[in-house]
Amino acid sequence: MSEAKHKFAFYLGCIAPNRYPGCEAASIKAMKKLGVELVPLKGASCCPAPGAFGSIDLNVFYAMAARNLVLAEQMKMDIALLCNGCYKSIWEVNHKLKHNQDLKDGVNEVLKELDMEYKGTINVYHTAELLYNDKFIGVQKVRDSVTNPLKGARIAVHYGCHLMKPHKEREFEKESMLNTEHPTWMEELVAALGATPVEYRNKMQCCGAGGGVRGYDIVHSLDITNEKMINLKEAKVDALTDICPFCQLQFDRGQIEIQEKFGVTYGLPVLHYAELLGLAQGMSPQDLGLDLHGISCEPFLQKVL
Amino acid sequence: MARTKGYPEALDKKLRDQRYYREDSNPEFLPKVKAISRTIAHMCFQCGTCTGSCPSAPRSTYRIRQFMRRAVLGLENEALTDPDLWLCTTCYSCTDRCPRDIAPTDVIMAMRNLAFKRDIIPVNFLKTVQAIYSSGHGVPNNDVNRAARERLGLTRDPPTTHMYPEYIKGIQKILDHYKLKANADRIVKEREG
Repeated sequence: MSEAKHKFAFYLGCIAPNRYPGCEAASIKAMKKLGVELVPLKGASCCPAPGAFGSIDLNVFYAMAARNLVLAEQMKMDIALLCNGCYKSIWEVNHKLKHNQDLKDGVNEVLKELDMEYKGTINVYHTAELLYNDKFIGVQKVRDSVTNPLKGARIAVHYGCHLMKPHKEREFEKESMLNTEHPTWMEELVAALGATPVEYRNKMQCCGAGGGVRGYDIVHSLDITNEKMINLKEAKVDALTDICPFCQLQFDRGQIEIQEKFGVTYGLPVLHYAELLGLAQGMSPQDLGLDLHGISCEPFLQKVL
Repeated sequence: MARTKGYPEALDKKLRDQRYYREDSNPEFLPKVKAISRTIAHMCFQCGTCTGSCPSAPRSTYRIRQFMRRAVLGLENEALTDPDLWLCTTCYSCTDRCPRDIAPTDVIMAMRNLAFKRDIIPVNFLKTVQAIYSSGHGVPNNDVNRAARERLGLTRDPPTTHMYPEYIKGIQKILDHYKLKANADRIVKEREG
């Protein structure tokens, strides 16, 4: 294997490493095949959860996210991460601190107690963005890396909220990623794996988990998820793919909770795009830990393996 | 504002009483919301695009437009004590679509920050703080997952504060700087005994 073209500090967050480790394993292996090396970001913590921490005290939110950013600054590496919630915290706080001296001063006053200083020397990327942007990888290279095309599988995309919204504050190089009303760039990535991307009603609706609502009012939260499930069922898809482990938790474990609370069963497999990419590059369901999912991936796997 | 001679003072008084100078309005509320949210909340012209875009609105009494009005009118108590304040999933659809480029989502976040200063906060938010204080993670690792990670060729604990607990001290310093852990412990104890 030739040396990696790009290197990033790999920021893991919480739910990927601690609930869906297949997302982490698949990201490291699949990205390596595509010339991107993901280096461990030693000592990172929760991003922190933007809904929970942002709601309590935004100053704490800024300082906690800044600590994670400084760890990567010390490695002199840009950050890559695989979760929309983490993107909201890490990318957005980086952006805010770079552009607001008062916030930067406030954060550094606290970080001084840790012998740390936020400088604003790195950038933050979502792995989905690295896959889509040909400056790093691009759709064609993703397509070329596929050894086990996911032929015949109908796959819907859940974009989630915090990667792209609000688009007015985002700075993606690829313009198609700034369309938050009806984006199709993830569908391009799904098609690159040999699967058939499927559209469904109100695709851009939230999963219902964020803002602390999942913990505050689980029935309200699941009712939002259930609306998406109804629309997905109507589209007759074999799987739902996401780029956010928290959304994945809400759709995957959430289907079990929906069954308990509303008495409706869907049985729709939910996979992070990294897991799909891993499968398409020949990783086995065991290598991906798909057995850890709340909803069995078997019906989908039988179709594509 | 220039007025004609016959401007009905009674109407003026009525509008003043009902729209702008209610007994419970606090003129300091809007500036505080704007300072924390860093958004131009006063520019809201009540079009309702926010509520129309809100996934929480169709299944509750939560109306983001109403909270925007409360910000402008300074209705601090009404806003901060309304349990609907905590039904925003922060999906940012309203912010994405606001024709005045306001961030209603950030107005909600600012109001939540102000509510917390008065100990108004659902307990689940504080439990996340407690989890992060002790482990660095809001959703910590467990034994089933450790075994799975090993099987996948990963380290049993991720290379985060889990594998390097010496980094937790820094996180605790940040949370203690803002007295967040102490406040969280106190409020959880008051609620749950």
